[in-house]
Amino acid sequence: MTSIKFRLNGKDVAVDLDPSMRLIDVLRDHFSLKGVKEGCGEGSCGACVVLMDGYSVNSCLLPLANVEGHEIVTIEGFKETKQFDVLQKAFAEVGGSQCGFCSPGMIIAAQSLLSHNPHPTEEEIKAHMSGNLCRCTGYQAIVQAVEIASKKGAGLW
Amino acid sequence: MVEKKIAYTKKEALDFLANHDAYIIAGGSDMMVIKKNVAGYAPLFDKDVLYVSHIKELANIYEDKDGVHIGATATMHEIEHHKLCPSLLRKAISEVASTNIRHFCTLAGNIGNASPAGDTIVIDALLDAKVKLESVDGVRLVDAKDFVLGVRKIYRHPNELITELIFPKIEYTGELWFKVGSRRADSISKVCFAGYYEVKKNVVTKFACCFGAVAIRPARSKELEAKVVGLSLEELKAKQPQIAGDFAQIIAPIDDQRSNKEYRQTVAMNIFNKFIDDIVGGAK
Amino acid sequence: MEFYKSSTPKIDFPEKIRGEAKFTDDFVLPGMLYAQTVRSTIAKGKIKEIKLPELPEGYYWISAKDIPGENVVNIIFSDWPIFADKEVNYVGEPIGLFVGENKEVLHKLCQQISVIYEEEKPVFDLVNSYIHKEFTKGDFSKAEKNAVKTIKETYETGYQEQAYIEPQGILCYIDEDDKFYLTGSMQCPFYIRKAVARALGIAPEKVRVKQPAVGGAFGGKEHYPSLTGSQLAVAVNKIHRPVKMCFERFEDMAYTTKRHPSVSTYEAFIGKNNEILGLRIRVKLNGGAYKGCSGVVLSRALIASCNAYVFENLDVAGDVYCTNTVPTAAFRGFGAPQTIFAMEMFIHHVAKELGVDPLQLRMKYLAKQGDITTNSGEFHDPIVLPQLLDKAMEMSDYKRKVVEYAKPGSNKGIGMSLFLHGCGFTGSGESTIINGKVKLIKDENDHVHVYASSADFGQGNRTTLARIVSNTLGLPAEQCTMEAADTDHTPDSGPTAASRTIIIVGFLMEKAAKQLKKIWKSGVRQEHIESYVGPSYIHWDEDTMQGDAYPSYSWGVNIVEVSFDPVSYQIKVDHCWSTYDVGRVVDERIAVGQADGGLLQGLGYGYLEHMGIKDGKFRNRSLSDYIIPTFEDAPPMETAFIDNPFIYGANGAKGMGELTLVGGAPAIALAIEQAIGHKVNKIPATPEYIMEVINHDKH
Repeated sequence: MTSIKFRLNGKDVAVDLDPSMRLIDVLRDHFSLKGVKEGCGEGSCGACVVLMDGYSVNSCLLPLANVEGHEIVTIEGFKETKQFDVLQKAFAEVGGSQCGFCSPGMIIAAQSLLSHNPHPTEEEIKAHMSGNLCRCTGYQAIVQAVEIASKKGAGLW
Repeated sequence: MVEKKIAYTKKEALDFLANHDAYIIAGGSDMMVIKKNVAGYAPLFDKDVLYVSHIKELANIYEDKDGVHIGATATMHEIEHHKLCPSLLRKAISEVASTNIRHFCTLAGNIGNASPAGDTIVIDALLDAKVKLESVDGVRLVDAKDFVLGVRKIYRHPNELITELIFPKIEYTGELWFKVGSRRADSISKVCFAGYYEVKKNVVTKFACCFGAVAIRPARSKELEAKVVGLSLEELKAKQPQIAGDFAQIIAPIDDQRSNKEYRQTVAMNIFNKFIDDIVGGAK
Repeated sequence: MEFYKSSTPKIDFPEKIRGEAKFTDDFVLPGMLYAQTVRSTIAKGKIKEIKLPELPEGYYWISAKDIPGENVVNIIFSDWPIFADKEVNYVGEPIGLFVGENKEVLHKLCQQISVIYEEEKPVFDLVNSYIHKEFTKGDFSKAEKNAVKTIKETYETGYQEQAYIEPQGILCYIDEDDKFYLTGSMQCPFYIRKAVARALGIAPEKVRVKQPAVGGAFGGKEHYPSLTGSQLAVAVNKIHRPVKMCFERFEDMAYTTKRHPSVSTYEAFIGKNNEILGLRIRVKLNGGAYKGCSGVVLSRALIASCNAYVFENLDVAGDVYCTNTVPTAAFRGFGAPQTIFAMEMFIHHVAKELGVDPLQLRMKYLAKQGDITTNSGEFHDPIVLPQLLDKAMEMSDYKRKVVEYAKPGSNKGIGMSLFLHGCGFTGSGESTIINGKVKLIKDENDHVHVYASSADFGQGNRTTLARIVSNTLGLPAEQCTMEAADTDHTPDSGPTAASRTIIIVGFLMEKAAKQLKKIWKSGVRQEHIESYVGPSYIHWDEDTMQGDAYPSYSWGVNIVEVSFDPVSYQIKVDHCWSTYDVGRVVDERIAVGQADGGLLQGLGYGYLEHMGIKDGKFRNRSLSDYIIPTFEDAPPMETAFIDNPFIYGANGAKGMGELTLVGGAPAIALAIEQAIGHKVNKIPATPEYIMEVINHDKH
């Protein structure tokens, strides 16, 4: 089995696993990164979303093979950043997390959006985040949280 | 034991395909679901697998005399935001799955999988795109419309790799992309429709349209389209019921968990009629 | 009012947003095995023989024969087997578990097992009633006799899937105290404790259930974990190793409980002066293969059958039908969404038929304090529905829009629902059946630990219950904390269901805190346990269904505005406005969160969430095919609360978890009716249904 190398939360890692493994399984089972959640296993819910080279991707659909040489950031890595701090405060302020199962994925999707579009409109937020399902909040609070983060974190992204 | 190969160059990929009958995975968004195993275990592949997403030389989007070339490993996200790419294609892509998935899924993968509910294959067929297939034996260009043979069936020889799609430049004055999913985002088409037209001096000079998710493959009839070209807008309006009736014959929707055939048939023709109304009304 | 308007940080927020909260599937224990369920592949039949594949070493087969106690899941009506033994009654019914280390091997074993059936003809239609309830109010025969005409309509509602984002999961092992320890995605730890004890034939004290982080529930994790918990306990009892079973989405959607589909027929008896003399209401619910909690769901459906209106004479009856399908059970609203939808559509249609303004007709029959309820009890508390209505209409500019959108071709519609929701268990059940308890412990540092078995699965109980205590004690919020429920340490405060957490458990908390305040000694450990005593004026007869159905009611108004696309028959929700009387709000941010989330789930129920079924098998078994709203489907929602403190509620608070869902479907259905110009008598009003209605009315 060939070794697959990539950057994970700021560190170089190499794994000797079947390259067809789903990235989510590698992250959760091999690296114990349990903040990556499986909600549907087919890319519909976004609970498993991680950053690949700064873009949100569904780790339940990505084969390990495709990650080789790329940079992966999960909530465990992202929570150490200033951007996370701004986002989490905004989510707290408006109640953007209830049961919390979708929250890590929401945060990652928001980061993906803001890092490429620091001042999105409400429509752009909704369009970008529509691959992340939430059954508790009705979404409104999350949209508000991203808007607040965009304002309060101006210059960070 | 099946073999799994990560290719970094086109040559590596073609050499592998020369003697392996393999699944080819670009983004993986479709195959990883189809071949899904229990959580925690590698997907179950019954034959060899070739991963192509790392082939940089296939990620280019560029234009030449043949049209716009879109490399097989360019992601939908890249295509969606690339000014060279046809506007109908970009519109359609903006409604494919979700942003998260578009960050890694590909146009080549969409046609390679040939799902009847695929959105971009409708655009490929409408815009007379060519699928470029390469193998150690050479290069082949196939019309996108003929490349999809049926449900998940494509005209690819086992040693071939889709390396790009080529969209010839088509000038027109109006276009329509209409996707009917089960919700406003992150949904699979129940029906979709793409069309373009050109009207000069009150006469239809170009007309093309293609239906998706209402037949085993994108439904387009150049023969019926030709009957529309040359009509004045008044004639088009007068003949609209008859024309719509003819086009209704080229689709054969089915019942499934997402919708039913009556709905698909009716809505497909509603969109078609809206398209004709746009042509007739728009030129006034 | 500072207390009412402000919000405190959610206790569990930091660990959840940081991805550190541990959900069931995040637990990995040394020596842990996994379980995979073998399920019936037919809808009805006898099990003739089970041919097991050869089991690799370290793999086990667990079935009915391994159950040391009773082979029933302890639910309200215990007819649901833990494992099918001699017969199967629905596709997907559990027959046994394979247990072992490798999930891939378990999956293969499930494919290799051969179950030989003697197939019988399944029943999918609503023909075999297994629960019947009925009651009357006033003198119905008089209404019948005096009527000059009748208006009759039938309404249908479909399945609804809870679609919590975290699928069901449970984990069991024998702990250091030799107890069966269970943790899992759950709502009611004490339900599971009871169920496991019954399955194993041991004392409940030998079972410990602790709640981890739970990723949404909405009723779907009220009873189902009693089944899976019992199954795993039976396995652990045999194998003596930790066993975990987490469903993937397909298994969860295909085989776990959903909302009861319903068919309700409403008949109005109209007098000379266009007045409604009485209503005859017949409700049919599809209960699936086993009764479980369906009797109580039917009760709530019938009690809510006149919604927020008061009619003098009623003849109400309902049945739950046995079908060879997955049993239906709890889902936010618990029977009320079905009949509230029917009643709201009906009163609107009756008004149209009588040629009177629907709003005026509703106002005429609106419940007022002191009125006699549907079940011949009394509305004891002040009712502020007219104020809620005025406020909602003002917020939405309803009166102008309802006229403007009536113009043909506008393709716009605005719909309004008025509704109530009974808080807590039916009748005097809170005092007589549940008798909930809570506990406060003040430690030597004067930090107050709040104990209740109310599970927090997103609604924010741990924050709101602690806040009720801190507020009562006059302490800073951070000085009172509530831990997750643990049957070894928390008293049984009753299930986390029925919109009872704030009105009942919160009220208890407040009483306990008042008591602690009285005996408060700084620097000393103190403990206080409080038991529920309900209002003495609440009387209920379960057999006749007469009396006060609930300790109190919460009220609401939803207004929904939609656009209709005549090309695709699709509906876009443009805007929603809501007003609620939930007594007094405990924490505004949490309350608004309930309002937004509940309404969107109610809207989804009304127009989007179609669950097809064919030959007893659900067709929409993934989140790609079962359509819940996304960001793009969610409209802007504006919410206002009107303060109306309830004397037996915590600082005046009543229930709100379910209230926010029940009005969504009728409001959107009425908006759709206006936009399309045709009646909507069935939900979800999908584009397919809308097309059918329009075409049908055309011909």
